[in-house]
Amino acid sequence: MLKIEHLTKTYGEKKAVDDLSLQIRRGEIYGFIGHNGAGKTTTLKAVTGILQFDEGEILIDGKSVRTSPLECKREIAYIPDNPDLYDYMTGIKYLNFIADIFAVSAADRQDRIRKYADLFELTADLAQPIAAYSHGMKQKLAIIAAWLHQPKLIIMDEPFVGLDPKASHLLKGMMREVCDEGGAIFFSTHVLEVAEKLCDKVAIIKGGKLIRSGTMEEVKGDDSLEEVFLELEDESC
Amino acid sequence: MLSVLLKKQMSEIFRGYFYDAKKNRSRSKGGTAAYIVLFLGIMVVLLGGIFTFVSLSICGALADAGMDWLYFVLMGLLSVVLGTFGSVFNTYSGLYLSKDNDLLLSLPIPVNVIMLSRLLSVYLMGLMYSAVVILPAVLVYWFTVAASAASIFGGLVLILLISVFVLTLSCALGWVVAKISLKLKNKSFITVVVSLAFIIGYYFFYFKAQMLIQNLVANAAVYGAKIKGAAYPLYLFGRVATGDIFAVLAVSAVVLALFALMWVLISRSFLKIATASGHTARKAYKETAMKQKSIASALLTKEFGRFISSPNYMLNCGLGILLLPICGVLLLFKGGTVISVLNGLFGAREGCTQVLICAVLCMLASMNDMAAPSVSLEGRSLWLVQSLPVTPWQVLRAKLGVQLLLTGIPVLFCIICIAFVYPFSIPELVLTAFVPMVYVLFSALFGLFLGLKMPNVNWTNEITPIKQSACVTIALFSGFAYTALLCVGFMLLNGWKLGFAGYMGVFGAVTLTLCAVLYFGLKKRGCELLAAL
Repeated sequence: MLKIEHLTKTYGEKKAVDDLSLQIRRGEIYGFIGHNGAGKTTTLKAVTGILQFDEGEILIDGKSVRTSPLECKREIAYIPDNPDLYDYMTGIKYLNFIADIFAVSAADRQDRIRKYADLFELTADLAQPIAAYSHGMKQKLAIIAAWLHQPKLIIMDEPFVGLDPKASHLLKGMMREVCDEGGAIFFSTHVLEVAEKLCDKVAIIKGGKLIRSGTMEEVKGDDSLEEVFLELEDESC
Repeated sequence: MLSVLLKKQMSEIFRGYFYDAKKNRSRSKGGTAAYIVLFLGIMVVLLGGIFTFVSLSICGALADAGMDWLYFVLMGLLSVVLGTFGSVFNTYSGLYLSKDNDLLLSLPIPVNVIMLSRLLSVYLMGLMYSAVVILPAVLVYWFTVAASAASIFGGLVLILLISVFVLTLSCALGWVVAKISLKLKNKSFITVVVSLAFIIGYYFFYFKAQMLIQNLVANAAVYGAKIKGAAYPLYLFGRVATGDIFAVLAVSAVVLALFALMWVLISRSFLKIATASGHTARKAYKETAMKQKSIASALLTKEFGRFISSPNYMLNCGLGILLLPICGVLLLFKGGTVISVLNGLFGAREGCTQVLICAVLCMLASMNDMAAPSVSLEGRSLWLVQSLPVTPWQVLRAKLGVQLLLTGIPVLFCIICIAFVYPFSIPELVLTAFVPMVYVLFSALFGLFLGLKMPNVNWTNEITPIKQSACVTIALFSGFAYTALLCVGFMLLNGWKLGFAGYMGVFGAVTLTLCAVLYFGLKKRGCELLAAL
């Protein structure tokens, strides 16, 4: 579903991502962990086509992000770490805007908006301007928008930040549902317990380099993910 | 602590001069100097020049009549009006709506210190606009009448007092806007209506001012006596600049007392207004049938939504939408008189009147420059258009579309009105329509190009990209320059030798060629710039 090959992104003199390669298959929830500034967000933004990268290749369903950006973007949805949405729109206008961009039919969008807004208890607030939403409400709206066009690959940067426990639980269920239906999830998180329970595979990045990746069992063995992560961090120092 | 906040505020205000947001690094010294020189050129040479000319025309006559104080009353009031007009539109947002309010309020900083730092922006804006009037007025007085120690002292005090008074007025008006805005449902619309009323009042005053000033100068002694008798504080206000100690003390006391009153007023309500959610009655969501739009239509609707959501955006970048139809309607009623006056002034040279009409249309169209800040206004939500399956060109086309529609339609309306009152032949009418319509296209393309070359997506207050960015200033003044060139080229640079049709054809063709260059530049380089932001 997603293949990253030798990805390198440099900011001035600093290599934010250095020769990173990984592959995510259909049906996988892939966790991406690392300390602050490790290069997680840069990698995720490069995958979504927001950031242009210096070297390497990113393929989504066999199509290159570099040469076929629109085809790739149609297959994916992205939720950033900070949901800065269009504050001047109401929630419903924003969802309709996203649905228009992805050419979601009127009937489909109506059903999906109803379903997900009810799930996240956001229906009553859809007529409010986004400027009046709390961080958590914006995050819920961003999640609903991401699910509107039934993407094959969902990329999320710290998706659980700001969500209440119920919404977090719902999101985990929705992530699993996407993978069960043949999609894939690639997300970053600092909450290692969540990653450990939710992810099929995990990659650990430090200083822009991938230092370990594989199935959860391969990465952590008999230890906890937290122990392995801290150990790897110390080793690299 | 205050100095830290003032430094932060200053760095935010002048960030554009020192920091290249596009390249995410500081500007070179040369780049910074060029920006500063450009800004000073506009403020000092253009605006300062206008008011130096006004000052020169009345200072001598009033001083000779012993009415020095009346001269300062006139220029002082003009300065107060311009200063308040220039700063009032960003006072509300500058004082209360900064995005770092929550951050600063969470820090151990006294609220009054935050407020004071916010006032600095308002003060600087008011000072800038009021100084372009009162500074030339004082300098002209010193150079042409008297540069005694008393008049130098008085002049400096007057400049200072006016800046404080402008700050007081702006804050008071900003407070009123804040109070109203917290209770209104259609805030954007009401704010625009109130602001427009203010603008109309301002221009009414401005147009009448010249006549009033001439009348006042001609009858200085009579009016002087009347003002002194009926409005003694105004007399004292004018006397400040002559160094009258009693006037200096009295006016300073009043201005400082008013400032203190304003301080008490806003300090009591600052926290409440700055942290208010602004919620009016909650609007319940009712599900209705949804419609699917095309990508182009969705993006265009989004851009229109952005434009009408912000009174600042509408007022600073869309005045032409209102002025063009007003001009058209006025021409329908007063067109005959206007044209006969123009014919009387320029009738000796054939085609002058028609060229002037086109120039006025271009001038009014140049009041619309919503494309210029539109890229910067994406702000922190820029990731959306970059991650969605839309091409950069689709995004840019929607931004262009807003300006083209909101300017092209009013220009067309105005041309239709002109066609009713001016006896154009069909080819002349086509050319009269051709140049302004091509200019509409040019100004949108040029504005958007500037917006892409000088973006600032890291603003904390939307007034920064709308009003304080180099791209908007250049877009606005390039419109004025285009208009001037259209007239000067015909009247002074032998354009008239080509005849109206020939000249307009050439001018329009050159503009169209520039449009083509900008269009292809935007499609290639512009798209690259947007993608790389």
